[in-house]
Amino acid sequence: MAARLRAPGFYRAGWMMAFGVAFATGLTWVVRMSTGHSTFKHFIDGEAILTVSLIAVPLLFLVGIGGFDYWFYWAAGRKTRAEDHSSHGARSWKDYFRINTDHKVIGVQYTVSSFFFLLVGGLIAMLMRAELAAPGAQFVDANTYNGLFSVHASLLIFLFVIPVFAGLGNFVIPLMIGAPDMAFPRLNALSFWLLPVAGALMLGSFFAPGGAFADGWTAYAPLSTNAPVGQTFFALGVQFAGASSIMTALNFLVTIITMRAPGMSFFRMPLLVWANFATSLLVVIATPFIAASQFFVLLDRALGFNFFNAAKGGDVLMYQHVFWFYSHPAVYIMMLPGFGIISEVLAVKARKPIFGYRMMAFSLLAIVALGFTVWAHHMFTSGMASWIRIPMAVTTAIIAVPTGIKIFSWLATLWRGVLHLDTAMLFALGFLTTFTLGGISGVMLAMIPFDIHVSATYFIVAHIHYVLFGGSLMTIFAGVYYWFPKMTGRMYDERLGKWHFWTTFVLFNLTFGPMHILGLQGMPRRVEDYASKFADLNLFISIASFALGLSTLIFLYNMVTSWRGGPIAASNPWRGMTLEWQVSSPPPIFNFDKLPTVVGGPYEYGVPGAVHGTFAPTPTPATVGAGSGVARAPSE
Amino acid sequence: MEAASIAHPVAHGDDHHGPPPANSSSRAEPQLLGMLLFIISEVMVFGAFFTAYFFIRVAQGDAWPAPGTTLPVEVAGVNTAILVSSSMTMHWAQTSIKNGNRFGLKAGMLTTFLLGCTFLFIQINEYANIGFAPQDGAQQTVFYSLTGLHGAHVFIGLLLLLFVTIRSFRGHYSPEEHRGVEVPGIYWHFVDIMWIVVYTTVYIV
Repeated sequence: MAARLRAPGFYRAGWMMAFGVAFATGLTWVVRMSTGHSTFKHFIDGEAILTVSLIAVPLLFLVGIGGFDYWFYWAAGRKTRAEDHSSHGARSWKDYFRINTDHKVIGVQYTVSSFFFLLVGGLIAMLMRAELAAPGAQFVDANTYNGLFSVHASLLIFLFVIPVFAGLGNFVIPLMIGAPDMAFPRLNALSFWLLPVAGALMLGSFFAPGGAFADGWTAYAPLSTNAPVGQTFFALGVQFAGASSIMTALNFLVTIITMRAPGMSFFRMPLLVWANFATSLLVVIATPFIAASQFFVLLDRALGFNFFNAAKGGDVLMYQHVFWFYSHPAVYIMMLPGFGIISEVLAVKARKPIFGYRMMAFSLLAIVALGFTVWAHHMFTSGMASWIRIPMAVTTAIIAVPTGIKIFSWLATLWRGVLHLDTAMLFALGFLTTFTLGGISGVMLAMIPFDIHVSATYFIVAHIHYVLFGGSLMTIFAGVYYWFPKMTGRMYDERLGKWHFWTTFVLFNLTFGPMHILGLQGMPRRVEDYASKFADLNLFISIASFALGLSTLIFLYNMVTSWRGGPIAASNPWRGMTLEWQVSSPPPIFNFDKLPTVVGGPYEYGVPGAVHGTFAPTPTPATVGAGSGVARAPSE
Repeated sequence: MEAASIAHPVAHGDDHHGPPPANSSSRAEPQLLGMLLFIISEVMVFGAFFTAYFFIRVAQGDAWPAPGTTLPVEVAGVNTAILVSSSMTMHWAQTSIKNGNRFGLKAGMLTTFLLGCTFLFIQINEYANIGFAPQDGAQQTVFYSLTGLHGAHVFIGLLLLLFVTIRSFRGHYSPEEHRGVEVPGIYWHFVDIMWIVVYTTVYIV
């Protein structure tokens, strides 16, 4: 038992977390005693203890499970140890609950835990739709409802969409570029374990006195600086989730820059790698801003600072500027990896080279650059200087251009392709449809008068769900179906997959399409009650959304049963050319027994004799023609 | 930080199956590149705090520092000189180990560490004697948060320097393998440059 308490793992994490609470109590006690709180009962302050605990306990949890072990060892001045990959691979399900430095294990950890948060966030959405099924109060009071939509958005943004892309990227990127692992495996392990911590904080806020944080995922000051203590859970949860994304992004960038296989030039990289490269740039540059915005809120709340206290010269508008300077690039963080997935799926399933490969890569970089110039379009009604709205409207319209380049390039890729309409492809095509609709309502919102008309109505709710559900989630489903055989070594049930797609696609549009109309008619978002004239459409939306929720069960059933007992997957079931399909399913424990050499572009489908990667030592035209272990395009 | 996890594959026995060494597709070293990207992130954290500074000090246009308060420009100027010289001694330590001069490494690291501690001590002393608190108003909040954010970075930097100092006294690092000095050194130079920006904007302008 004593050994268990010392070894990295949940036992050690347990006692360390208990120590964290004791530490927080002691620290706040000492500080309050030494800063003029004279009477004994004032030495203890619940909110102060809670705030310090929320920082100390998660950190000590990470120490306990061993996330920092190596760095402590290094700090003690001992000899450095290269990561020896001894923990690679997962031999049983228990290995997924340990610190593991294998990018494939981490990818699965990331993806599965993100989907857990998708289910929780989806269930919360069901509760909200139950409340909204009829005017007046049904099940929850106004404050609980506000907490529900706030946690719903925060979970799905910070703990589903952003990390699930990091998870898929973690699994696929090193394989795609021909690397044995990520550049910093230990950092990679730590970045995953920050996520459950962030999720626990956000969900834990429901148990806080005063209820969950209730001012949306945007947490505008001064609402957030005056909210009950649940807000602290959000402010700190975002810090952990943000630190996790920055670590992963940094890792992706260094991996992509320094660990590509021989011959894998930047313009031979698959577009998924390009997309994650662009996304990681955004994360590294933008995420510090939301960290800072929540530091401000935290300092105002906990230590009485005056960032947002207008009575003492604080500036509440500054919160929105800082927040959206992250959160607008964040919508591209939540979308660009999906663009990458779609490029992979469409090229493979249409059996054609991707149209305009270089423009696809450049448009990603254009989005990265333009993404930093549009933030204040979220603030057209905020009361900022009105002239700022004009350049922001212009840049917002301009950023639709690189996105449009991508949409048209995908359409041109499909043109006269041999379409294989399996589940992943269906989701990719569904994405093209719904994301284009969401993109169009986005350009509508760039128009200042229109934005003022529909600001804070259900039109905004419809728009964000068309781009995040109809956009990001569709690409995530496409990616999960596409790489499921590679990740698990099993095939999923194609028939159930198609059922899942059609129910999701139809019910998604039935749920969120009518919200455009409600918004145009002026139904405000983020309110648990509404005027009775909106009752019919809302009931319709609620029923559709319950059915949409049920359709997720098809996906779950398919994933669980296929993983347990699906047919064994071939190494390359989709006849893909990219490197991850040239190794077994699931990949060998160190990805490649021998590093591949890249000799051509990744999408030369239908080009006779085209080769992307080869395991032959020095590819000459002769070996390319003979093609031993060569990823060759099947001629069709 | 000192040893690359990929650049130096562990020698495996015949029975041990390890990964093939990764191809090195860039002249940039992973550790240096990682630190530079991290510094970009750090610059953006400061950027966000400077946004607060911009809105509260510049956009509002009130007198700075707030009437009735003074900023100890001279003391902070001396402190700036201390931090700048610590960057120079850091550079001395780095060049020393590149040339195999172990004494220079140890002396340089120790001096850098002590200069950094002095800076932090003077900064804390300044807080104790400055006569206003962040709770007094938004301008004071901005002063404390910018200098405090920088102070926190000095603290992290000092921890790194302490580890490197201990390691150099224990005989680590060599002319061939000195990334463990170089990477924390870059961070320390960043902390130093950031201070010059903070000092200029908060104390002088």
